[in-house]
Amino acid sequence: MTAIFNWTVNLLTAALVAAGVAYLVNGGLRGRGPRRIAAAVLGLAAGGAALWGVAAVEKLESTARGIVVSILLSGLLFIGANKLFDLAPTRWALFRALIGGGGALAVFLLLWGNRAIDQPVLRTFIAALIGAAGGYLLGVEKGKWRRLLIGAGAGAALGVLAATGMRSVILRFELEEGIFDLWPVLPNLNFGVLIITTALGAAAGYLGYLWRSRRKGKTPAASIVGWATVGFFIGAWGMPTLGTGQWWEALLAAVGTGLGAGAALGLKPVPDANERSRLEASSRSYIFVIPALLFIGGTLIYPTLRTLFLSFYDTRGEEPVGFANYSSIFTSANSFDVSGWAGIFGSRLFWAGAAIAALGTVVAVIMGRRSGYKASFGPGAGGATVLGLFLVCMAAFAALRGTLFNNMWWVLTVTLVTTAAGLAIAVLADRAKNESLAKSLIFMPMAISFVGAGIIWRFMYLARDPSREQTGFLNALWVGLGRISSNPAARLITVIIVSALALLLVWLALRSWRAGERAIASGAAVCALPFLWFAFAVMRGIGGVTEGPGGELLADTVLFVQETPFNNMWLMLVLIWIQTGFTMVIFSAAIKAVPAELIEAARVDGATESQTFWRVTVPQIAPTIGVVVTTLIVLVMKVFDIVKVMTNGNFDTQVIANEMWQRAFTELNFGLGSALAVVLFVAVLPILYLNIRRMQKAAG
Amino acid sequence: MTALPGTGTAGAGGGGGPGGGLGKRIYGFLRSIPTWVLWLLVVLWTIPTLGLFINSFRTRNAQRTTGWWNLRLDDFTLDNYADILAAGAQGGMWRALLSSLAIALPATVIPIAIAAFAAYAFAWIDFKGREWLFIATVSLLAIPTQMSLIPLLRLYTGGGQFTIPFLDKTITLFPDLDLAGGVASVWLTHTGFALPFAIFLLHNYISSLPKDIFESAVIDGADHFKVFWRLVLPLSVPVLAAFAIFQFLWTYNDYLIAVTMLGAVGENYPATARIASLSGEFGQAEHLLTAGAFLSAVLPIAVFFGLQRYFVTGILAGSVKG
Repeated sequence: MTAIFNWTVNLLTAALVAAGVAYLVNGGLRGRGPRRIAAAVLGLAAGGAALWGVAAVEKLESTARGIVVSILLSGLLFIGANKLFDLAPTRWALFRALIGGGGALAVFLLLWGNRAIDQPVLRTFIAALIGAAGGYLLGVEKGKWRRLLIGAGAGAALGVLAATGMRSVILRFELEEGIFDLWPVLPNLNFGVLIITTALGAAAGYLGYLWRSRRKGKTPAASIVGWATVGFFIGAWGMPTLGTGQWWEALLAAVGTGLGAGAALGLKPVPDANERSRLEASSRSYIFVIPALLFIGGTLIYPTLRTLFLSFYDTRGEEPVGFANYSSIFTSANSFDVSGWAGIFGSRLFWAGAAIAALGTVVAVIMGRRSGYKASFGPGAGGATVLGLFLVCMAAFAALRGTLFNNMWWVLTVTLVTTAAGLAIAVLADRAKNESLAKSLIFMPMAISFVGAGIIWRFMYLARDPSREQTGFLNALWVGLGRISSNPAARLITVIIVSALALLLVWLALRSWRAGERAIASGAAVCALPFLWFAFAVMRGIGGVTEGPGGELLADTVLFVQETPFNNMWLMLVLIWIQTGFTMVIFSAAIKAVPAELIEAARVDGATESQTFWRVTVPQIAPTIGVVVTTLIVLVMKVFDIVKVMTNGNFDTQVIANEMWQRAFTELNFGLGSALAVVLFVAVLPILYLNIRRMQKAAG
Repeated sequence: MTALPGTGTAGAGGGGGPGGGLGKRIYGFLRSIPTWVLWLLVVLWTIPTLGLFINSFRTRNAQRTTGWWNLRLDDFTLDNYADILAAGAQGGMWRALLSSLAIALPATVIPIAIAAFAAYAFAWIDFKGREWLFIATVSLLAIPTQMSLIPLLRLYTGGGQFTIPFLDKTITLFPDLDLAGGVASVWLTHTGFALPFAIFLLHNYISSLPKDIFESAVIDGADHFKVFWRLVLPLSVPVLAAFAIFQFLWTYNDYLIAVTMLGAVGENYPATARIASLSGEFGQAEHLLTAGAFLSAVLPIAVFFGLQRYFVTGILAGSVKG
């Protein structure tokens, strides 16, 4: 049986591949003569090859089968639903038969799935037939009483079918402590409750009728019977304890429900052509949307609510524990450790950052005085202030340890650096020669998985025993630099070369300043600074060597991945490496989309290149920057794979997502895991809100 | 337009002026400094991948003693690839790559179909609560994957039960199909997570199609199904392709969902999970890790370079227009 199924699917796969290839060979099937033959031969060959490949490789076979089955199933389901509703205006009886059969089938499948009936295959099959027959007869019959009789009869028959199956259903467990019976469904009816719920249902039905459909000239009967049935159903199956009743009680409850539902359907008159086509049109939107909503509900909304719920429960999700999971997150030193706060003020980074930020602000205030504002943050002063504040934040995060601070650190650093680097590269690449090649190469890491990138960078960061040659690129550079810096001759040559380069840049800065190209001048000046610093540093001694006891040189490697707290930043670099291509591509497109007239107008008004960029281009692409920043924040907040592969959260690099994964899936503490997921979710909520606002604005 | 101008006119100052002296020529050369910075960055960006690529062709001994920049012909070998592709405790990459495909292909096809229907309905079918439903759907984009993992895994292992509030009766809505550990559970999860973005992307495109074609089709008597099938699908091929590439890369490169849903068994592990577990045993198989990481990246990089144009279109449609 399975073999036949597999072969059928294989043949279908081959046919699909063949058809695809044939179609691709330039619409060959529509061509004539040799072309058509060539296409057919190629298609057949490809199909044969696919078949052979499918049969040869077991794994590929299951893949291909999965794809074919998924395509066929979803396609058939969708087209089937559409065809079904095509029938509604034209062939009403057939439509009703299909709906009736499908409805009965669905109800019995639910019973089957809940193990509520025995001989489920046979019963479900008969139920579908009864439903179809009832639906068909309701579709053709017009007489009022006969319709009522048909509906009630079919419903009662279904009820009998279900109730007789329930009599003996018991799932028996034989354990050491004794025999346990599970899933018995016979209800222990309480007639008082049954009458009350039925009466309440009927009253609700009458009210509903008064409220909605009195004007259309219908009788209240259908509405009353329908809602009374709902009341009866709740009273019969919902209220009493299941499993303690007698078989006749189950029969009464099931037949009553079926009878009522069928009668309610029978009481409705046959719809006229207008109503049928309206039904067809409105159902169409549901057919298109419901598959997506089902998936979203099943994989996003339900699990989110469930996680929220589980976060207030214990390890196995059985006993409610209140906020204990949350308080354990926020009181644990692993996730929230501010004890090192004093260290912030002891770090050079902090004071350097503060100084740069202060300098930037002072310059901004002076510039502002000149132009009559309180403060004017141009690109220079603004950049310096942001850089200074950024450094201050880095110093703060290096001192405040813990999972939550690590996540904040990731979000701040990666978002800021990636956005800035992406924008800078987009600007640099704009109008450059071979622009697309350069952009492709920078964009390429986007195609590599986070895991792959983590491994790539592990080799970059590799630190080996100092006595051996370094095979990690960065450590090899670092140690090599140390060797140069400690060798007088090599040091002198390096310093001369680097200083010459720096002088060239300074000369360029001076010359372009005189030529009026201020942007080039300031760019060159900024580029010259690191060269000067580097020359100075080499002279003073830099790099990974130490002097051994005998005065010999020893390599002194940097343990990029292990040395806290800045190993966090080395991990962040991996994500920056991946994501910069993404921001660059988006900014590049946004910059190219800025209307040329605006740029022209600014130029005509005498704006310099730099002014045009900061005052025209940047405001124009501001919405794009907003989108990129929000996307990045959400992405970085969830960072998992890189940390998992590179450190697995050791060496003080834990982040929320990895912590959650460890708690939930290695320690099986679902309560704490869920609480961590909720913390992540709450952190993303502002972004959710921003997204909704943006969508509403876009919608008008 | 740019802060540092002159990238486009590189060399013009130097080569252009007939009477330019040496100083002028150097000036013209240096003026194109933005280009130099750009290419310096490109080199920096490429070094990690290049290093991995070169190392993957070097013998175990060479990898362990010298850095990849020491290129010697003697060190060249293809054994790393042969070893990691073969079955075995340190290999099994071939199987893992096929598993990756088994996960990524259906996880790309299914959401495209479902999202295309929904995007069409949101764009062109008038029904009650359309705006509201669309915004609600798309805003789910921001929900972290982690939020869903625990309940989803439970759903796949034990089915879905629903306890009716107040009545305290539990019914099974989603039977226990024993999905956990199989690739189907990964498809389903990816499909659900992809839908908000897919619907957003496709809706942006489909709603911008000209209105006239729909009107004339409706006058000709076509219903929504025909319009969707004959008009919308063929016209949306670019955006469908863009999303397909995006989703393929995403699912092929995914690690979190695969490793959660497939559990500890590891039989159906995709390439990402395989190399991650190999990297856990750092040391023994270290020299194979380079080949493994490169193999796992070959297909996405090929897809990416081959279909880059569509990919960029897709990203842009998804992020800039919104």
